[in-house]
Amino acid sequence: MYLVADINVEICAAKNCKLCTQYCPEANTILYSDELGKDKGFKYGSAYVAVDRCKGCAQCVWVCDNMAKNHAIKMIMIDQLPQAALTENIMYGEKSTTAVLTSPVIG
Amino acid sequence: MSLDYVKFSNGFEKFMPKEYRDMVEHGPFGRKVTVSQMGSFKEVLEEHPMCAGCAMTLFIRLAMIAFPNPEDTITVGTAGCGRLAISQAAIPFVYGNYGDQNGVASGLSRGLRLRFGDKPKDVVVMAGDGGTADIGLQQVLHSWFRKERFTTIMLDNEVYGNTGGQESGMTNKGAVLKMAPLGKKFEKMDMVQLAKVAGCAYVATVVPNNPRRVESVIKKAVLVAREIGPSYIQAYTSCNIEYAIPTDKVMEDAKAVENDRYQFMEYVSEEAKQYLTERYGYKEFLAKQAAPAASISGKA
Repeated sequence: MYLVADINVEICAAKNCKLCTQYCPEANTILYSDELGKDKGFKYGSAYVAVDRCKGCAQCVWVCDNMAKNHAIKMIMIDQLPQAALTENIMYGEKSTTAVLTSPVIG
Repeated sequence: MSLDYVKFSNGFEKFMPKEYRDMVEHGPFGRKVTVSQMGSFKEVLEEHPMCAGCAMTLFIRLAMIAFPNPEDTITVGTAGCGRLAISQAAIPFVYGNYGDQNGVASGLSRGLRLRFGDKPKDVVVMAGDGGTADIGLQQVLHSWFRKERFTTIMLDNEVYGNTGGQESGMTNKGAVLKMAPLGKKFEKMDMVQLAKVAGCAYVATVVPNNPRRVESVIKKAVLVAREIGPSYIQAYTSCNIEYAIPTDKVMEDAKAVENDRYQFMEYVSEEAKQYLTERYGYKEFLAKQAAPAASISGKA
Protein backbone atom coordinates (compact mmCIF):
# COMPACT_ATOMS: atom_id res chain seq x y z
CA MET A 1 0.00 0.00 0.00
CA TYR A 2 1.09 3.59 -0.46
CA LEU A 3 0.28 7.09 0.71
CA VAL A 4 -1.96 9.51 -1.13
CA ALA A 5 -3.10 13.02 -0.25
CA ASP A 6 -6.50 13.45 1.38
CA ILE A 7 -8.16 16.86 1.70
CA ASN A 8 -10.45 17.66 4.63
CA VAL A 9 -13.57 19.14 3.00
CA GLU A 10 -14.72 20.96 6.15
CA ILE A 11 -11.51 22.99 6.42
CA CYS A 12 -11.01 23.45 2.67
CA ALA A 13 -14.57 24.63 1.99
CA ALA A 14 -14.25 27.27 4.68
CA LYS A 15 -11.06 28.77 3.19
CA ASN A 16 -11.13 28.34 -0.59
CA CYS A 17 -7.49 29.30 -1.21
CA LYS A 18 -7.00 26.81 -4.12
CA LEU A 19 -3.21 26.94 -3.62
CA CYS A 20 -2.84 23.15 -3.72
CA THR A 21 -4.36 23.02 -7.21
CA GLN A 22 -1.60 25.37 -8.39
CA TYR A 23 1.33 23.67 -6.65
CA CYS A 24 0.64 19.98 -7.33
CA PRO A 25 3.35 18.79 -9.76
CA GLU A 26 0.96 16.33 -11.39
CA ALA A 27 -1.59 17.58 -13.91
CA ASN A 28 -5.32 16.86 -13.41
CA THR A 29 -4.69 15.48 -9.92
CA ILE A 30 -5.91 18.05 -7.38
CA LEU A 31 -9.24 19.22 -8.74
CA TYR A 32 -11.87 21.65 -7.52
CA SER A 33 -15.56 21.01 -7.03
CA ASP A 34 -18.26 23.52 -6.07
CA GLU A 35 -20.62 20.76 -5.02
CA LEU A 36 -18.35 19.10 -2.46
CA GLY A 37 -18.57 22.06 -0.10
CA LYS A 38 -21.66 24.02 -1.03
CA ASP A 39 -23.92 20.97 -0.95
CA LYS A 40 -22.96 20.46 2.67
CA GLY A 41 -23.77 24.05 3.57
CA PHE A 42 -20.25 25.49 3.43
CA LYS A 43 -19.51 28.86 1.92
CA TYR A 44 -17.21 27.63 -0.86
CA GLY A 45 -16.45 24.51 -2.83
CA SER A 46 -13.56 22.22 -2.00
CA ALA A 47 -10.46 20.79 -3.62
CA TYR A 48 -10.13 16.99 -3.81
CA VAL A 49 -7.59 14.47 -5.06
CA ALA A 50 -7.88 12.08 -7.99
CA VAL A 51 -6.07 9.34 -6.06
CA ASP A 52 -5.19 7.23 -9.09
CA ARG A 53 -2.98 10.07 -10.34
CA CYS A 54 -1.44 11.05 -6.97
CA LYS A 55 2.25 10.06 -6.64
CA GLY A 56 2.32 10.80 -2.91
CA CYS A 57 4.99 13.54 -2.89
CA ALA A 58 3.19 15.56 -0.19
CA GLN A 59 4.04 18.93 -1.71
CA CYS A 60 0.38 19.91 -1.27
CA VAL A 61 0.69 19.14 2.45
CA TRP A 62 3.63 21.56 2.76
CA VAL A 63 1.81 24.22 0.76
CA CYS A 64 -1.40 23.84 2.81
CA ASP A 65 0.47 23.83 6.14
CA ASN A 66 3.09 26.52 5.48
CA MET A 67 1.81 28.84 2.75
CA ALA A 68 -1.96 28.69 3.27
CA LYS A 69 -1.67 27.71 6.96
CA ASN A 70 -4.92 25.75 6.70
CA HIS A 71 -3.65 22.27 7.64
CA ALA A 72 -6.38 20.62 5.57
CA ILE A 73 -4.31 17.98 3.76
CA LYS A 74 -2.95 14.76 5.25
CA MET A 75 -1.17 11.77 3.69
CA ILE A 76 -3.20 8.60 4.18
CA MET A 77 -2.68 4.98 3.12
CA ILE A 78 -4.86 4.43 0.08
CA ASP A 79 -6.63 1.40 1.58
CA GLN A 80 -7.64 3.46 4.61
CA LEU A 81 -9.55 6.04 2.58
CA PRO A 82 -13.21 5.12 2.85
CA GLN A 83 -14.08 6.94 -0.35
CA ALA A 84 -12.10 8.89 -2.92
CA ALA A 85 -12.26 10.24 -6.45
CA LEU A 86 -10.92 8.21 -9.37
CA THR A 87 -10.31 9.78 -12.78
CA GLU A 88 -13.02 7.64 -14.41
CA ASN A 89 -15.63 9.07 -12.02
CA ILE A 90 -14.79 12.74 -12.54
CA MET A 91 -16.89 14.95 -14.79
CA TYR A 92 -15.69 18.36 -15.95
CA GLY A 93 -18.11 21.29 -16.03
CA GLU A 94 -17.83 24.95 -17.02
CA LYS A 95 -16.13 26.26 -13.88
CA SER A 96 -15.97 23.25 -11.61
CA THR A 97 -15.77 19.48 -11.68
CA THR A 98 -18.03 16.84 -10.20
CA ALA A 99 -16.78 13.59 -8.73
CA VAL A 100 -18.64 10.47 -7.69
CA LEU A 101 -16.68 9.18 -4.70
CA THR A 102 -16.08 5.45 -4.51
CA SER A 103 -13.78 3.08 -2.69
CA PRO A 104 -10.32 3.56 -4.19
CA VAL A 105 -9.28 -0.03 -3.47
CA ILE A 106 -11.05 -2.54 -5.65
CA GLY A 107 -11.34 -6.21 -4.72
CA MET B 1 -1.66 22.59 -35.58
CA SER B 2 -5.09 24.06 -35.32
CA LEU B 3 -8.05 23.84 -33.05
CA ASP B 4 -9.47 21.03 -35.18
CA TYR B 5 -6.57 18.64 -34.99
CA VAL B 6 -7.67 17.30 -31.62
CA LYS B 7 -11.36 16.89 -32.45
CA PHE B 8 -12.96 13.51 -33.15
CA SER B 9 -13.92 12.28 -36.56
CA ASN B 10 -17.67 11.74 -36.73
CA GLY B 11 -18.71 8.48 -35.11
CA PHE B 12 -15.42 7.88 -33.31
CA GLU B 13 -16.19 9.71 -30.08
CA LYS B 14 -17.37 6.61 -28.20
CA PHE B 15 -14.12 4.77 -28.94
CA MET B 16 -11.88 7.49 -27.49
CA PRO B 17 -10.57 7.22 -23.91
CA LYS B 18 -12.24 9.36 -21.25
CA GLU B 19 -9.11 11.49 -20.78
CA TYR B 20 -9.11 12.36 -24.48
CA ARG B 21 -12.80 13.22 -24.54
CA ASP B 22 -12.35 15.43 -21.47
CA MET B 23 -9.41 17.18 -23.14
CA VAL B 24 -11.40 17.95 -26.30
CA GLU B 25 -14.56 19.04 -24.49
CA HIS B 26 -13.13 20.71 -21.40
CA GLY B 27 -9.51 21.46 -22.29
CA PRO B 28 -7.84 24.84 -22.81
CA PHE B 29 -8.02 24.79 -26.61
CA GLY B 30 -9.72 27.79 -28.12
CA ARG B 31 -10.37 29.58 -24.83
CA LYS B 32 -8.32 31.44 -22.29
CA VAL B 33 -7.39 29.63 -19.10
CA THR B 34 -5.30 30.90 -16.19
CA VAL B 35 -3.53 29.34 -13.21
CA SER B 36 -6.32 30.56 -10.93
CA GLN B 37 -8.70 28.21 -12.79
CA MET B 38 -6.45 25.20 -12.27
CA GLY B 39 -8.34 22.16 -11.05
CA SER B 40 -11.52 23.08 -12.92
CA PHE B 41 -10.52 22.33 -16.52
CA LYS B 42 -8.76 19.38 -18.18
CA GLU B 43 -5.09 20.14 -18.68
CA VAL B 44 -3.27 19.14 -21.85
CA LEU B 45 -0.50 17.47 -19.86
CA GLU B 46 -1.21 13.82 -19.11
CA GLU B 47 0.37 11.20 -16.83
CA HIS B 48 4.12 10.86 -17.30
CA PRO B 49 7.03 8.94 -15.76
CA MET B 50 8.80 11.85 -14.01
CA CYS B 51 9.66 11.46 -10.31
CA ALA B 52 7.16 12.24 -7.56
CA GLY B 53 7.41 15.82 -6.35
CA CYS B 54 9.65 17.03 -9.19
CA ALA B 55 9.70 20.82 -9.45
CA MET B 56 10.43 20.53 -13.18
CA THR B 57 7.09 18.77 -13.61
CA LEU B 58 5.32 21.60 -11.83
CA PHE B 59 7.05 24.16 -14.04
CA ILE B 60 6.13 22.25 -17.23
CA ARG B 61 2.54 21.97 -16.02
CA LEU B 62 2.38 25.73 -15.44
CA ALA B 63 4.08 26.43 -18.77
CA MET B 64 1.50 24.39 -20.69
CA ILE B 65 -1.26 26.43 -19.06
CA ALA B 66 0.55 29.71 -19.77
CA PHE B 67 0.96 29.21 -23.54
CA PRO B 68 -1.16 31.96 -25.14
CA ASN B 69 -2.43 29.65 -27.92
CA PRO B 70 -1.78 26.02 -26.96
CA GLU B 71 -3.53 24.81 -30.11
CA ASP B 72 -1.02 26.76 -32.24
CA THR B 73 2.12 25.80 -30.34
CA ILE B 74 4.84 23.23 -31.01
CA THR B 75 7.30 22.29 -28.27
CA VAL B 76 10.86 21.21 -29.03
CA GLY B 77 12.98 19.33 -26.53
CA THR B 78 16.06 17.19 -26.24
CA ALA B 79 17.56 14.52 -24.01
CA GLY B 80 16.95 15.15 -20.33
CA CYS B 81 14.20 14.68 -17.78
CA GLY B 82 11.91 17.38 -19.13
CA ARG B 83 11.02 15.66 -22.38
CA LEU B 84 9.50 12.76 -20.41
CA ALA B 85 6.64 15.08 -19.46
CA ILE B 86 6.67 17.56 -22.36
CA SER B 87 6.09 14.71 -24.81
CA GLN B 88 3.04 13.52 -22.83
CA ALA B 89 0.89 16.51 -23.70
CA ALA B 90 -1.68 17.24 -26.39
CA ILE B 91 0.76 19.72 -27.93
CA PRO B 92 2.96 18.50 -30.81
CA PHE B 93 6.47 17.75 -29.56
CA VAL B 94 9.63 17.52 -31.68
CA TYR B 95 12.65 15.75 -30.22
CA GLY B 96 16.00 17.22 -31.28
CA ASN B 97 19.21 15.22 -30.89
CA TYR B 98 21.15 16.25 -27.81
CA GLY B 99 22.07 19.89 -28.26
CA ASP B 100 20.28 20.29 -31.59
CA GLN B 101 17.02 21.60 -30.23
CA ASN B 102 17.58 25.27 -31.09
CA GLY B 103 18.71 24.34 -34.62
CA VAL B 104 15.59 22.21 -35.07
CA ALA B 105 13.43 25.00 -33.68
CA SER B 106 15.03 27.55 -36.06
CA GLY B 107 14.03 25.51 -39.10
CA LEU B 108 10.62 24.74 -37.68
CA SER B 109 9.89 28.36 -36.85
CA ARG B 110 10.98 29.57 -40.31
CA GLY B 111 8.98 26.83 -42.04
CA LEU B 112 5.83 27.67 -40.09
CA ARG B 113 6.17 31.34 -41.03
CA LEU B 114 6.50 30.43 -44.71
CA ARG B 115 3.51 28.11 -44.56
CA PHE B 116 1.15 30.12 -42.34
CA GLY B 117 2.29 33.71 -42.91
CA ASP B 118 0.99 36.11 -40.33
CA LYS B 119 -1.08 33.52 -38.46
CA PRO B 120 0.81 33.03 -35.18
CA LYS B 121 2.36 29.61 -34.69
CA ASP B 122 4.52 29.49 -31.58
CA VAL B 123 7.64 27.38 -31.21
CA VAL B 124 8.83 26.84 -27.66
CA VAL B 125 12.08 25.04 -26.82
CA MET B 126 12.19 23.44 -23.39
CA ALA B 127 15.50 21.77 -22.61
CA GLY B 128 17.59 21.15 -19.52
CA ASP B 129 20.70 22.98 -18.39
CA GLY B 130 22.91 20.38 -20.11
CA GLY B 131 21.05 20.67 -23.41
CA THR B 132 21.00 24.47 -23.30
CA ALA B 133 24.19 25.64 -21.61
CA ASP B 134 26.67 22.79 -22.18
CA ILE B 135 26.09 20.47 -25.11
CA GLY B 136 23.70 22.76 -26.99
CA LEU B 137 25.40 26.08 -26.20
CA GLN B 138 26.67 26.62 -29.73
CA GLN B 139 23.26 26.14 -31.33
CA VAL B 140 21.51 28.12 -28.63
CA LEU B 141 23.82 31.12 -28.99
CA HIS B 142 23.72 31.05 -32.79
CA SER B 143 19.94 30.91 -32.85
CA TRP B 144 20.01 34.08 -30.73
CA PHE B 145 22.66 35.75 -32.91
CA ARG B 146 20.47 35.03 -35.95
CA LYS B 147 17.47 36.56 -34.10
CA GLU B 148 15.38 33.43 -34.62
CA ARG B 149 11.88 34.17 -33.37
CA PHE B 150 11.07 31.44 -30.86
CA THR B 151 11.22 30.99 -27.10
CA THR B 152 13.99 29.07 -25.36
CA ILE B 153 13.23 27.85 -21.83
CA MET B 154 15.99 26.35 -19.74
CA LEU B 155 14.79 23.86 -17.12
CA ASP B 156 17.76 24.39 -14.82
CA ASN B 157 18.10 21.59 -12.25
CA GLU B 158 21.83 22.36 -11.89
CA VAL B 159 22.86 18.75 -12.58
CA TYR B 160 22.78 15.95 -15.16
CA GLY B 161 19.97 14.18 -13.34
CA ASN B 162 19.27 11.50 -15.92
CA THR B 163 22.77 10.03 -15.98
CA GLY B 164 23.65 9.80 -12.32
CA GLY B 165 24.53 13.29 -11.14
CA GLN B 166 27.41 14.84 -13.09
CA GLU B 167 28.07 18.56 -12.71
CA SER B 168 26.90 20.84 -15.51
CA GLY B 169 27.93 24.36 -16.42
CA MET B 170 24.90 25.57 -14.48
CA THR B 171 25.81 23.70 -11.27
CA ASN B 172 26.56 26.09 -8.44
CA LYS B 173 30.21 26.45 -7.40
CA GLY B 174 31.14 24.05 -4.62
CA ALA B 175 28.16 21.73 -5.12
CA VAL B 176 29.03 18.12 -4.29
CA LEU B 177 27.28 15.54 -6.46
CA LYS B 178 27.51 11.78 -6.91
CA MET B 179 29.72 12.13 -9.97
CA ALA B 180 31.40 15.33 -8.76
CA PRO B 181 32.57 14.20 -5.30
CA LEU B 182 35.16 16.96 -4.82
CA GLY B 183 32.67 19.72 -5.51
CA LYS B 184 32.40 21.91 -8.55
CA LYS B 185 35.42 24.18 -8.97
CA PHE B 186 33.95 26.79 -11.32
CA GLU B 187 31.25 29.41 -11.09
CA LYS B 188 27.71 28.84 -12.37
CA MET B 189 27.47 30.04 -15.98
CA ASP B 190 25.80 33.42 -16.43
CA MET B 191 23.41 32.44 -19.20
CA VAL B 192 21.20 35.46 -18.55
CA GLN B 193 24.01 37.83 -19.42
CA LEU B 194 24.90 35.74 -22.48
CA ALA B 195 21.28 35.92 -23.65
CA LYS B 196 21.22 39.70 -23.32
CA VAL B 197 24.54 40.12 -25.16
CA ALA B 198 23.44 37.71 -27.88
CA GLY B 199 20.39 39.85 -28.59
CA CYS B 200 17.38 38.27 -26.89
CA ALA B 201 14.44 40.68 -26.78
CA TYR B 202 13.03 39.18 -23.59
CA VAL B 203 15.00 37.48 -20.81
CA ALA B 204 13.68 36.37 -17.43
CA THR B 205 14.61 34.11 -14.52
CA VAL B 206 11.85 32.44 -12.58
CA VAL B 207 11.27 29.85 -9.84
CA PRO B 208 8.08 27.75 -9.85
CA ASN B 209 7.12 28.68 -6.28
CA ASN B 210 5.19 31.58 -7.76
CA PRO B 211 2.75 30.09 -10.33
CA ARG B 212 1.26 33.43 -11.41
CA ARG B 213 4.69 34.85 -12.13
CA VAL B 214 5.62 31.76 -14.17
CA GLU B 215 2.43 32.20 -16.16
CA SER B 216 3.03 35.89 -16.79
CA VAL B 217 6.67 35.44 -17.80
CA ILE B 218 5.95 32.62 -20.26
CA LYS B 219 3.06 34.50 -21.87
CA LYS B 220 5.24 37.55 -22.45
CA ALA B 221 8.17 35.49 -23.75
CA VAL B 222 6.01 33.63 -26.29
CA LEU B 223 4.28 36.83 -27.45
CA VAL B 224 7.60 38.67 -27.89
CA ALA B 225 9.02 35.74 -29.88
CA ARG B 226 6.13 35.96 -32.34
CA GLU B 227 7.31 39.20 -33.90
CA ILE B 228 10.18 40.90 -32.11
CA GLY B 229 12.98 38.41 -31.56
CA PRO B 230 14.30 35.50 -29.50
CA SER B 231 13.20 35.19 -25.89
CA TYR B 232 14.88 33.26 -23.08
CA ILE B 233 13.54 32.05 -19.75
CA GLN B 234 15.76 30.43 -17.17
CA ALA B 235 13.76 28.46 -14.62
CA TYR B 236 15.10 26.85 -11.46
CA THR B 237 13.54 23.39 -11.33
CA SER B 238 15.34 21.46 -8.60
CA CYS B 239 16.29 17.78 -8.90
CA ASN B 240 15.04 16.33 -5.62
CA ILE B 241 16.79 13.01 -6.33
CA GLU B 242 20.35 14.21 -7.03
CA TYR B 243 20.22 16.99 -4.44
CA ALA B 244 18.44 14.74 -1.90
CA ILE B 245 15.59 17.15 -1.24
CA PRO B 246 12.62 15.45 0.51
CA THR B 247 9.65 15.74 -1.85
CA ASP B 248 7.55 17.69 0.62
CA LYS B 249 10.38 20.25 1.03
CA VAL B 250 10.79 21.01 -2.69
CA MET B 251 9.02 24.37 -2.47
CA GLU B 252 11.00 25.28 0.65
CA ASP B 253 14.19 24.62 -1.33
CA ALA B 254 12.84 26.66 -4.26
CA LYS B 255 12.25 29.59 -1.92
CA ALA B 256 15.77 29.30 -0.46
CA VAL B 257 17.38 29.15 -3.91
CA GLU B 258 15.23 32.06 -5.10
CA ASN B 259 16.60 34.17 -2.26
CA ASP B 260 20.15 32.94 -2.87
CA ARG B 261 20.82 33.00 -6.62
CA TYR B 262 17.52 33.00 -8.48
CA GLN B 263 15.96 36.37 -7.70
CA PHE B 264 13.27 37.28 -10.20
CA MET B 265 14.82 39.24 -13.05
CA GLU B 266 13.17 40.45 -16.22
CA TYR B 267 14.81 42.21 -19.14
CA VAL B 268 12.58 43.53 -21.90
CA SER B 269 14.01 45.40 -24.89
CA GLU B 270 12.47 48.79 -25.69
CA GLU B 271 11.01 47.41 -28.91
CA ALA B 272 9.45 44.47 -27.02
CA LYS B 273 8.01 46.83 -24.40
CA GLN B 274 6.35 48.93 -27.07
CA TYR B 275 5.03 45.82 -28.83
CA LEU B 276 3.59 44.28 -25.65
CA THR B 277 1.97 47.57 -24.68
CA GLU B 278 0.49 48.48 -28.04
CA ARG B 279 -0.47 45.04 -29.34
CA TYR B 280 -1.45 43.20 -26.19
CA GLY B 281 -2.33 46.01 -23.79
CA TYR B 282 0.36 45.39 -21.16
CA LYS B 283 0.17 48.40 -18.86
CA GLU B 284 3.16 47.52 -16.69
CA PHE B 285 5.63 49.02 -19.18
CA LEU B 286 3.80 52.34 -19.49
CA ALA B 287 4.69 53.42 -15.95
CA LYS B 288 8.32 52.45 -16.43
CA GLN B 289 8.53 54.46 -19.63
CA ALA B 290 7.19 57.47 -17.76
CA ALA B 291 9.85 57.18 -15.05
CA PRO B 292 13.24 57.84 -16.68
CA ALA B 293 15.26 56.37 -13.78
CA ALA B 294 13.92 52.85 -14.32
CA SER B 295 15.87 52.01 -17.43
CA ILE B 296 16.57 48.49 -18.62
CA SER B 297 20.18 48.51 -17.50
CA GLY B 298 19.07 49.47 -14.01
CA LYS B 299 16.77 46.47 -13.86
CA ALA B 300 19.38 43.94 -14.89
